[in-house]
Amino acid sequence: MFSIRTENLKKNFGAVKALNGVSFDFSAGLLHGLIGSNGAGKTTTMRLLAGLLKPSAGGIHYYSDGKPAAFSDLRPTLAYMPQQASLYPDLSIDEHLEFFRELYRLEPAVYDRRSAELLRITRLGKFRGCRAGQLSGGMYKKLGLMCALLQSPSVLLLDEPTNGVDPISRREFWEMLYALAADKILIIVSTAYMDEAERCARVHLLDSGRLLASGEPRTVLKETGAANFEELFIRKGAEK
Amino acid sequence: MNGFNIHRAYSIARKEVMHILRDPFTLALALGLPVMLVTFFGFAIDYEVKNIKLAVSDRDNGPASRRLKEIFSSSGYFHLVESDPGAGPVALVDSGRAAAALYIEPGFSKKIKGGGSVEAQFVLDGSDNSKAGAIMGYLPGIQRSALSKLAGTQVREPFSVETRFLYNPELNSRWFTVPGLAAIIIGLLAILLTAMTVAREWENGSMELLLSTPVRPLEIMAGKLAPYGALVLAGVFFVYLLSRLVFGVPFAGSHLLYLAACLLFVTAALSQGLLISVVTRQQQIAMQFGMITGLLPSMLLSGFIFPVESMPRFFQYLTMLLPPRWFMAAARGITLKGADLGELAVPFLALGLLSAGMLTLALIKFKTDLE
Repeated sequence: MFSIRTENLKKNFGAVKALNGVSFDFSAGLLHGLIGSNGAGKTTTMRLLAGLLKPSAGGIHYYSDGKPAAFSDLRPTLAYMPQQASLYPDLSIDEHLEFFRELYRLEPAVYDRRSAELLRITRLGKFRGCRAGQLSGGMYKKLGLMCALLQSPSVLLLDEPTNGVDPISRREFWEMLYALAADKILIIVSTAYMDEAERCARVHLLDSGRLLASGEPRTVLKETGAANFEELFIRKGAEK
Repeated sequence: MNGFNIHRAYSIARKEVMHILRDPFTLALALGLPVMLVTFFGFAIDYEVKNIKLAVSDRDNGPASRRLKEIFSSSGYFHLVESDPGAGPVALVDSGRAAAALYIEPGFSKKIKGGGSVEAQFVLDGSDNSKAGAIMGYLPGIQRSALSKLAGTQVREPFSVETRFLYNPELNSRWFTVPGLAAIIIGLLAILLTAMTVAREWENGSMELLLSTPVRPLEIMAGKLAPYGALVLAGVFFVYLLSRLVFGVPFAGSHLLYLAACLLFVTAALSQGLLISVVTRQQQIAMQFGMITGLLPSMLLSGFIFPVESMPRFFQYLTMLLPPRWFMAAARGITLKGADLGELAVPFLALGLLSAGMLTLALIKFKTDLE
């Protein structure tokens, strides 16, 4: 089981301080929520964790079963789903799955079982022949998740997977995430929807590149005395 | 991190094939465009200058002058235009209504009859170099014919130089232009096809996803080269059929060597496109870069129209960086002269080196993060 810690992580893009000294503790086997409004630094954090950006300062430490590990140990079992559209609009669901099967070199038996399971959970079985460009927002995100999950990752980074998805599909999506969390893999989900914070085992509240609070959702609310996370963010915003 | 994995390269290639099959435009472009363009320009471009408008001012109007005019018109190259008696023939050249002018002075016929020496003046429009050069080439033949016909006797020259053209005895200019044209069009097509590929992944957002998977840049590049290489070679095959069947271009050499030359040239052009794509990361810029680097230099500096040997030294060296220059030499060598591998070592080696160089550069420039 992998866990990730960051230490005073900073990332600047020119004069813009996207992350301004953040220390996260993403403990193993839990569903972590990275909560914050647009521009809080969620995508930057995700990209740093996925190794797609280099920190300007500070460090990211990876652990395997509590012992320090290199990023290269973790990378083969890391799955990342970018926030922006990143699938091929002209390829169908089946063709996407085929592509990632070959990319990850999955055994046919493993692939058959896994893809059947994923198609059942996502209920996309009926749309296997549809091209990604024709799918609805929710189905597109589900396909992205399927591609990420095909290789049975042990670390899953989902950047705003429910952004622009209707409420019913959002609930379905979270149910899928719960099912995954039962497998004891490290899941980090970023979202701008405050109501989704309560669905996570741990929350990390991010605002303008700074960490406001982190911990169990209920504990965080109790400590700050806020009724919900929306109120918490508004109150913190007013304090500034 | 991990080495080159042929299976991952294959998965990229397979995906690329699906993209191509889904996009009828690319498919039609790759297979149809070369044939269309080579047909179109193959018929249009002709180095032989014919139907030259020749303004004639015949101040003699005798039997010999009429004979001289007849010689010009029966050569098949000239179309005679009588000039206004007042204005003179040069005025016609001036106004652009004629490319050359012939001036025959009064008493021309009488002098010839008397056995004296006569002169006729020939004025040429020098503003179009290549046309003037071609016309100059026709003059000695006409002069010889005029000498024997007007003087009435076979002139015996002290010596004569006999010219025989090897490989293309009739100097059929299509045998020369069609293979060259094919090289330029195929090269440009190959550049444009791959110039879009990596840039498309970036614009599509899929590069971010790809970079988070175990796939390596070299695997992505190999996976993109292979299907487009096959596609362009199919285009080469159609152009080959066209030049043989429609334009009757002869094929003196080995088909196997020609295939090897095509393979090397296509690889070089695809690598050039890939390099552009990797560096620009935007389809539109990649397209423009591809057009600029793929079209003008290969048209003007490859030896297609202007011989490399007559360029200033600096440009001669510069042309060495252009794959079409080497392919042009190899293709003409194989098709018209039947050259063997030994004679083609330099172009083959150059094409191989250029491909390897551009691929290495693309690999170095390939970004593996989003910085």
